[in-house]
Amino acid sequence: MLPAVMVLALTTLYPAVYSVIFSFFDWNWGNRMNFVGLANYADTFSNPEFWAVLGQTIIFAAWATGLEVLLGLGLALAVNRLRFGVGLIRTLLLTPLMVSGIIVAIMSKIMLDPMLGIVNYLLSLIGVAPNTFLGAKSTVLPTIIGIDVWWQTAFGFIILLAGLQSLPNEPIEAAQVDGANAWQTFWYVRLPLLRPVLYTVLIFRIIDTLKVFDIVFGTTSSGLTDVMQTLAYRTAFSYQQMSKGMTFMVIFSVLILLLCWVYLRLDRTEA
Amino acid sequence: MRARSLTETAFAYLVALAAILITLFPIYWMFNIALKNQRDAFAVPPKWSFTPIWEHFENVLSNRAYLEAFTNTIVVTLAGVLLALVMGVLCAYAMERFRFRGRGLFGVWLLLAYMLPEFLYIIPMYALYQQVGLYDTHFGLALVYQVHSLPFAIWMLRSFFRDVPQELDDSARIDGCGYWGILWRIYLPVTAPGIAATGILTAIWIWNELTIAQALTFARADTITVAVASFRGYAAVRWGEMAAASLLAIAPLLVFAVFAQRYIVKGLTLGSVKG
Repeated sequence: MLPAVMVLALTTLYPAVYSVIFSFFDWNWGNRMNFVGLANYADTFSNPEFWAVLGQTIIFAAWATGLEVLLGLGLALAVNRLRFGVGLIRTLLLTPLMVSGIIVAIMSKIMLDPMLGIVNYLLSLIGVAPNTFLGAKSTVLPTIIGIDVWWQTAFGFIILLAGLQSLPNEPIEAAQVDGANAWQTFWYVRLPLLRPVLYTVLIFRIIDTLKVFDIVFGTTSSGLTDVMQTLAYRTAFSYQQMSKGMTFMVIFSVLILLLCWVYLRLDRTEA
Repeated sequence: MRARSLTETAFAYLVALAAILITLFPIYWMFNIALKNQRDAFAVPPKWSFTPIWEHFENVLSNRAYLEAFTNTIVVTLAGVLLALVMGVLCAYAMERFRFRGRGLFGVWLLLAYMLPEFLYIIPMYALYQQVGLYDTHFGLALVYQVHSLPFAIWMLRSFFRDVPQELDDSARIDGCGYWGILWRIYLPVTAPGIAATGILTAIWIWNELTIAQALTFARADTITVAVASFRGYAAVRWGEMAAASLLAIAPLLVFAVFAQRYIVKGLTLGSVKG
């Protein structure tokens, strides 16, 4: 027990406290280190770039999580109906989760190339005009959402499928005996039973997508778009504004703390 | 009634088939690009049949920086998994079998450690590591990975330990086993598949991690994801090498996934579904 507590104290508690403390200084990785009070927070809150990036991150997380959970649930319902080949189908659908985000980014850059990419070619076959995808500011955010959906839908699918398979049979059969159709059985019986699993998938995907880094870092080397964590990376490591980067992360962490709190509350009422 | 259920099943197979096609096509296409010469790779409309060349794979495999990153990744993954499992087993055992003050609070700490954004930790750890000489080292990186791997390992292992029947515990105690003896002779053998699942999922996560590695390593301990990220500028031109390097980086995991599929599914679902 003690070694784990010590390692976690060193790797999480120490840096979290350090980040909070140094967000009140003006440290730029040099000798200068003056206490500036709330100046960093005041700067951040009046910084339009910060709000734009925060807004973009939230839009990304909302769309990506929404699509992934809906598609994952749909797929899980479909596969749950099948009798043959379920194991094989599950293995094949699991593949994207084995692929590192940076490699997903590289694959996307090659396949979504506006001029030579295979995706624009395939779209042209069904009469869709070529898209700029990662090449223009207006299309980059939807494209990254799409990339994340390809990458992470399997997570929700696997967990929701296991959830569906572990549901008790009696209430579902009882509903069918009472004359409920497929949709009613799903909406009034299976979905409520599945709720705790659904909450878990939702919270893990929301927080994971808020923290997105690899696929944005890998696809937009030109700095066409930013999310919170790429902004923190750029601020602290490219511009060496350590205190500013830590201020961003402290504010961002408060948002994530709130989400964790909501999750723990829900978990308690379920249990 | 029967006809409708048949159509529904057929539709379900169609949905699954479409999902498999969309899932696997990008990986197939990377193979396709990796085996083409530049002219064939850039051809519009794309060439579906061509003479495969192995040049790109050979180039990547003779690149020293790439091979070093590959070795680094193996070392960091092994170190990270070992740290997580050893500490995780002890911690999970203590949390499952002893009642002590602060157990609930520690559980919340684990959740927060796992959930909070990486850069909250990385910026101060970067400063600390520069001072104590852990920057760009295998051990330093494996240690910071514990912010994610350790809470995960503890959750998983706790759920496996919880399923060990209390009778086994009791009979071992009657036979004179101490707490260590019970852990060593009963818990570890009984939950071995669960421990394997935990180790596999931790290994996959560390192998694929970029955010922390990008910030805390440079040239000596840089992992495969950092190496691939550093080539990303070339993605616009040297498709063949990029595709080959990407495939080689994920190849161990794809092989792994086929053989350890049962454990991976078990591990992914265990935390959230009590079945």
